[in-house]
Amino acid sequence: MAEFTIDALGEACPIPLLKCQKKWPELKNGDVMIVSIDHSCALKNIPEWARKAGHNVEVEEVEDGVWDIYIEKNA
Amino acid sequence: MSETQIMLRKRPLTAVKKKSQLGYTAAALTVVIAVGMYLSQMKTLLSIIWFLGIGLGVVLQKSRFCFTASLRDPILTGSTSLTRATMIAFAVAALGFAALQFTTLLKGGPIIGGVQPVGIHTAIGAVLFGIGMVISGGCASGTLMRMGEGFTMQWLSLTTFILGSVLGAIHFGWWTDNFFKAAPKIYLPEIFGWAGAFFGQLALLGLIYVFATWYEYRKAN
Amino acid sequence: MATRAVQELQFLKKTVLIDAWPYWLGAILLGLLNIVIFIYMASPWGVTTAFVFWGAWIYQAFGGHPEVWSFFTLQPAMMAALKGGFWAHGGSIINLGLIVGAFLSAAAASQFKIKKIKAGRQVVAALLGGLLMGYGARLAFGCNIGAYFSAIASMSLHGWVFGVFILVGALIGSKLLVKYFM
Repeated sequence: MAEFTIDALGEACPIPLLKCQKKWPELKNGDVMIVSIDHSCALKNIPEWARKAGHNVEVEEVEDGVWDIYIEKNA
Repeated sequence: MSETQIMLRKRPLTAVKKKSQLGYTAAALTVVIAVGMYLSQMKTLLSIIWFLGIGLGVVLQKSRFCFTASLRDPILTGSTSLTRATMIAFAVAALGFAALQFTTLLKGGPIIGGVQPVGIHTAIGAVLFGIGMVISGGCASGTLMRMGEGFTMQWLSLTTFILGSVLGAIHFGWWTDNFFKAAPKIYLPEIFGWAGAFFGQLALLGLIYVFATWYEYRKAN
Repeated sequence: MATRAVQELQFLKKTVLIDAWPYWLGAILLGLLNIVIFIYMASPWGVTTAFVFWGAWIYQAFGGHPEVWSFFTLQPAMMAALKGGFWAHGGSIINLGLIVGAFLSAAAASQFKIKKIKAGRQVVAALLGGLLMGYGARLAFGCNIGAYFSAIASMSLHGWVFGVFILVGALIGSKLLVKYFM
């Protein structure tokens, strides 16, 4: 099970989600992508995108206003 | 348990750098109340307007509402959840606005509300605005909201936003002579009648809502 | 029993203060707020007209004379508002309130964080984007709020025209974003 990390800290809308979508095809079933964000929009639209596609999502607040989103590919 | 959950449990428990922002919140509330009181001494209406602004900021921030995303995401990410949300907002406002307009007209008053001259200038302005909001990461309301959230990029964006507005104000005369003066203000009920315009709009908003839903979910099939 | 109460409070705190509200709820509240604004301000919600005034007052502070701008000379109501100053200007107050409200909301959820600019491209994007929005809003008699949200709710044709063309702009902007600003 491989881990892919994306640092999207400081990025403006909608770049965090775009980065995820760009990297996503590289993941195999069971792989996990970890995205670091500090944008409240991304906090909503990344999990929304991932869940709609049927993947598992966990969000962890790392510090005030900073989150790590874990997405497990579940194709 | 999914792999992600297992992985999370296994992660070493790093000390999470979280401090409660109670201090900031208390400071903000103090400002809110102080300004509210200051304004009410000058004119109660201004105090009400202040609190309405606070309300807008809270609602926008809490719901992560973004007009920019409502127009950009269908193109860039395939999501239309915000597009559909804007249709709801428009419909709700349209109901109240129509009531206000109608009652004013019944009393013999003018057409109130945001009815402005329409023409090529509208198209040009909208295109410029659309480009600007997407590249800067926020529209007008979005820029203000993100300033409050701490995005220095939007503080920067505001400076030229003001500059652009000033340039537009200086050129107002030129645009008036060449475009605004000849442009008509078109109030839809004048063309389609009250029922036609009112229900027609709601129907169109509903149609866009349905289309947006189809658009987002069609890829799943 | 006390623990039940504490649990309820924790739950309330989480759903109202900390978690994001759903889009549909935000939408309904914004629609209602716009109606209330229309009632109290005699005119629906608008954001960008105030920016002309902010620019004018800043210019004035540096010794300039904005009252000669055609925007003011051709519109007596605007000229009067200019003379009235910031704290008498509803549009300015509501904008400032929005900023403070957003801050309050973020802080109450302990989610406030200063996000510094990361790259030169963000500076260019912010400056260029702001300029386009500022000028564009003047031409269209408003922004995504004044010429779109409030305009459509007012049953004005210009709102629908704005809506069609802001989408065109968003398309162009998206291409630029991915090509140059990502």
